[in-house]
Amino acid sequence: MLSRVADDLYWFGRYLQRAENTARLINVNANLLLDLPKGMTMGWEPLVQIVGADQAYREHYEDSTEANVLRFLMLDERNGSSILSSLQQAREILRTVRDSIPREVWEKLNDLHYFVQGRGEMVMSRTRRQEFLQRVIDGAVLVYGTLTTNMSRDVGFQFLKVGTNVEQADMTTRILDVRSTSLIDASGRQDLAPFYNIQWMSVLRSLTAYQMYRRHVRARVNRTGVLRFLLQNREFPRSVMFCLGAVGACLPQLPQNRNVERTLWRVRALVQDANIDRLVERGLSELIDEIQIGLGEMHAAFAQAFFRVEPA
Amino acid sequence: MAIDWQQYRCENFYDELFGGPGRPRPAARRLAEYLDDLSNAELAERRLAAELAIKVMGISFTVYSEGKNVDRAWPFDVIPRVIARSEWEKTEAGLKQRVAALNLFIQDIYNHQKIVKDKVFPAELLRESVNFRTQCVGMKPKNDVWAHICGSDLVRDRDGTLYVLEDNLRVPSGVSYMVENRLVMKRVFPELFDNTTILPVDDYPAQLYDMLVAMSPRPLDQPNIVLLTPGIYNSAYFEHAWLAQQMGIELVEGSDLFVADDDCTYMRTIYGPKRVDVIYRRIDDLFLDPEVFREDSVLGCKGLLRSWLKGRLGLANAPGAGVADDKVVYAFVPKMIKYYLGEDAILPNVPSWLCMDDKDRNHVLANLDKLVVKPANESGGYGMLIGPRAGPDEIERFRGLIQANPRNYMAQPTLSLSTAPTLMNDETVEPRHLDLRPFILSRGDSTYVTTGGLTRVAMTRGSLVVNSSQGGGAKDTWVVDIEADGPPAQSQSQSMAGAR
Repeated sequence: MLSRVADDLYWFGRYLQRAENTARLINVNANLLLDLPKGMTMGWEPLVQIVGADQAYREHYEDSTEANVLRFLMLDERNGSSILSSLQQAREILRTVRDSIPREVWEKLNDLHYFVQGRGEMVMSRTRRQEFLQRVIDGAVLVYGTLTTNMSRDVGFQFLKVGTNVEQADMTTRILDVRSTSLIDASGRQDLAPFYNIQWMSVLRSLTAYQMYRRHVRARVNRTGVLRFLLQNREFPRSVMFCLGAVGACLPQLPQNRNVERTLWRVRALVQDANIDRLVERGLSELIDEIQIGLGEMHAAFAQAFFRVEPA
Repeated sequence: MAIDWQQYRCENFYDELFGGPGRPRPAARRLAEYLDDLSNAELAERRLAAELAIKVMGISFTVYSEGKNVDRAWPFDVIPRVIARSEWEKTEAGLKQRVAALNLFIQDIYNHQKIVKDKVFPAELLRESVNFRTQCVGMKPKNDVWAHICGSDLVRDRDGTLYVLEDNLRVPSGVSYMVENRLVMKRVFPELFDNTTILPVDDYPAQLYDMLVAMSPRPLDQPNIVLLTPGIYNSAYFEHAWLAQQMGIELVEGSDLFVADDDCTYMRTIYGPKRVDVIYRRIDDLFLDPEVFREDSVLGCKGLLRSWLKGRLGLANAPGAGVADDKVVYAFVPKMIKYYLGEDAILPNVPSWLCMDDKDRNHVLANLDKLVVKPANESGGYGMLIGPRAGPDEIERFRGLIQANPRNYMAQPTLSLSTAPTLMNDETVEPRHLDLRPFILSRGDSTYVTTGGLTRVAMTRGSLVVNSSQGGGAKDTWVVDIEADGPPAQSQSQSMAGAR
């Protein structure tokens, strides 16, 4: 397998996952805002922070109105992580690696891309937004499903799976990071307590984790429970620990590389050993920073080992 | 009944499908009857189904416009162009003859230059050729083949004569669309394939692969063959990816390759470097190797030419093959066929005047308003003068260009390109001009010609420009076996009137 193709497949996994996650994120935020009391201004800005695009956003928009943020996150081609951009990049990649991926996947992705490109304007009306986002999510799941049911589990597939899981781990930690700091402080006001909890529920919902959380945790939704579930659970596919485990499961099929193994073990140990109960707000933020750095090192290790091959 | 063939006005040109209003040629008869039976609504449905299939299958090409690369869906007309097998067999023989002579010519030009010494081909033409590569002098590629893949453009004039308009020996494109057009037609008109014997076209990738294998410098069962593309911004990128996929070979970019000290070429893989035996390159000579050609090229790979010259690498087409892909050299092809093969050309050239020749040039300059003037080395229909359609300013501009550099120009009469019925958006049919690009693969021991080829259509009324970069579209091309389908009711004589 060409190094460039391995690199492309890895990024294909990431972009597809990114488009889906962004759609979920917007959907849930919209629902959350409907539940919040009047005068509470959580707004749309945190979403821009979650995807890490504050700077790009400020370059092009003056204020964080709903319409602006939504356009930026969904359709703006100047935002490299918008749904449209992610799909476009996934599609460009698929064109370059068409020979390694079943043709049906291309057809499904093409459909989805044309849908977002052609129908994106309708998201500006609230009533149709949910339907639109749901189709994006369904479309991404369909692409991924078509891929997993039709593609040989060859080495290329492993790179794709690594990309998908690195992206998910990254997105889960981002959501936790931004949500845990921008959440309302309900300690002083009894009347805000119910809203405190619905925000943690929304964190779960943006990762489609609510139902699974209830089954696993069997307790009311609270901060510690949610953090532990999304960071350390080994069975829920969007938890950081699960994603790292999935990356680990790919390694035996790739050429052996000590540095890749080392960086993976390091970040796994970090997540696994974190004592969630004792994390104060600040400690959480630091932990998440460390995990993010660990994920970055892991990405760099993969790139170094497989994507850039120097002449012998 | 939707299409009224009595209303189809095709008298002013040679029409590929109709001898006159309501009179289909024998090979097209079943098709015309079938279309006749479809209602307007059914026709519209099929037309939209084809558009959708093209979108869903992702058949596209890239156009550079307004500073952006735009990916356009392939413009396609659902009414196929039909050619009788008997006529096609003759065309095929003519193409094989032509490419054989071209390969002998290129080998001769880079070695003994006998054709120049024998004064059949003028030495000054060679000296001024921009596609002559001095680096290739003395080279004899494996099996003596230089132009492994050739795409020749054929056009038919008013009287029905089929001419060769040009031979593309550098990186001809379009073959993927030929195969995909057929897939679209099978999706949209499956029943047509039941009652007509249409010869298949999907053999091409397998033939191409076998030919590339035959070029390998190492006797291996499975040589490592790759397709070298300039990348996704190239207008033919779709085709590059398609071909690689169909042949099951790696699609590589220049940065994926390197030439090591042993003069062998390698590609970078996740397992480390892997030796490459044959490259089907879709990059122009000048960008191929910054070590010898353009230093600023980021598309190619340093050392490729060295690797090839040392016999450690097969390159298709060979660097320098473009010396015969020149609209002025073109005019000498019938003489080459006579010189190398001792035969008369089966397929005629379009009559051409070379501006380097005093007598010819005077004729051209006196008749600029009637002729088509072409520069020697442009492709895609750029840089041309179409006399009858040009204003006085443009004609004067070309007069200046020709006088400044006569070697670079040749002129031909304005042909009345043949037409074929094309479906409009309101489900009526109108004649549109077209050409045909078959592809010829040369292995050295055998030659393969595609069945038919890519039919390109000028989608705008009256237009003669068929290039997809300038608003052209395509049709599926059927070579049909009328004998196998039983005798048609009408006499066969009229359809053959135009064939040579």
